[in-house]
Amino acid sequence: MRRLLADRLVVATGVIVVVLALVFAFVRVASLH
Amino acid sequence: MQYRDLVRKAIWSAIYLLFILAPLFALLTGKLPPARNFGTEFSVALGYSGLAMMGLQFGLTARFRHVTEPWGEDVIYHFHRRVSLLAVGLVVTHPLILIAIRSEALAMPDSLREIPWGARFAVLSIGALVVLVVMALWRKQLKIRYELWHLSHIGLALTAIGAGMLHMIGWAYYLGDPLKRTLWIGMTIFWIALLLYVRIVKPLFMLRRPYRVVEVREERGDTTTLVMQPEGHAGFRFKPGQFGWLTLWASPFRITGHPFSFSSSAEAPDGRVEMTIRNLGDFTSAVRTVTAGQRVYLDGPYGAFTIGNPTDMHVLIAGGIGITPMMSMIRTLADRGDRRPLVLLYGSKDWESLTFREELEALKTRLDLKIVYVLSNAPADWTGETGRINADVFRRHLPPEYTDHEYFICGPDVMMDAIETALGEMKVPLARYHSERYSFV
Repeated sequence: MRRLLADRLVVATGVIVVVLALVFAFVRVASLH
Repeated sequence: MQYRDLVRKAIWSAIYLLFILAPLFALLTGKLPPARNFGTEFSVALGYSGLAMMGLQFGLTARFRHVTEPWGEDVIYHFHRRVSLLAVGLVVTHPLILIAIRSEALAMPDSLREIPWGARFAVLSIGALVVLVVMALWRKQLKIRYELWHLSHIGLALTAIGAGMLHMIGWAYYLGDPLKRTLWIGMTIFWIALLLYVRIVKPLFMLRRPYRVVEVREERGDTTTLVMQPEGHAGFRFKPGQFGWLTLWASPFRITGHPFSFSSSAEAPDGRVEMTIRNLGDFTSAVRTVTAGQRVYLDGPYGAFTIGNPTDMHVLIAGGIGITPMMSMIRTLADRGDRRPLVLLYGSKDWESLTFREELEALKTRLDLKIVYVLSNAPADWTGETGRINADVFRRHLPPEYTDHEYFICGPDVMMDAIETALGEMKVPLARYHSERYSFV
């Protein structure tokens, strides 16, 4: 159960980081236009 | 208490994410180099955040009490292991995306000698990361000694992070800006400082606060208790159920500390602490050779596994040597004259191996304590519980308001998994059961 908690935290971290990396790329590409 | 822990968890999670993402988004400020295509920019963002995540690994293992307390050390170490896979995944995805979109950045020069040093460091960084992960995942199969592995783990992590940073500087794209370069170099220095804190500052502190073994006591079940007294200082206060890192036969600078629960009462005088260690065939087999008078080092206390609300019934579930934190709780409650109802479910292979058996029976007179022994290898005339502790044992021995009790579980991983499942089936809310796993290193 406690490992499951840690695993969920890792998944949440991964989702947040990837989404914000996409935002970073969008912001950069948007500056092209 | 739970609300306070929830707030602390939220704050530390936000700080963790901030340390990963703020340096990335700082790259979008000030003067910017010309933007490239979406794939390249996305892959670069993954690379930067992956490296920041790797650097923060030093913070997760730096034993900061305020950080680890709301979660428990086992959760932090499990997170450290799993999040490293995520970080390596992000870092490796960075060049893979560039290859997939045939980025100009990966165009090979005519001669190997012309490969820019920024690219060479990228290869070194990723190579070090891959070796680090392989050695961490398969250390036992590769038969690498723990101390050697730990040293190489630190060396490879420093190489991966250092080379990753030099790759970014060498590429001179976002970090061509001196301010942003300074920010990322500062971040790297901060990560390395976290490592120095746990490997140099903390051991220095421990060196100045040694302990002396004043008694070595043989216990039932091939188990030894070390009674330790602070030498020239007041020691520390711990909560019953917490643990410390014990270093025997070596200076605290050596990576040989092992985590053990305190088994003594938190009310013991003069900073005295006891650890009760079962011979499990590894490092623990030598504990019985410790002699009174020996100098040892203790780093602690750590852990979130400790007694809860004084008005609730406490159900302590121990398997084998998992009795040690429970013993600390029981002894402490006895010393405090606490009369809350306690039920101890104590699983062991046989009657003779029940560590602290006699003392537990004696403590019944000072506490509202009921003990249920569960033997997996019971003698022929045994009339008590046999087999494993499970939901049926709970139903036979606990008052039926199962969801109102506080459950504390410590024992082998398999037992803890089974009990957590049983409690789930009995609809006991997660907040009502507490466990901390000690096989986390």
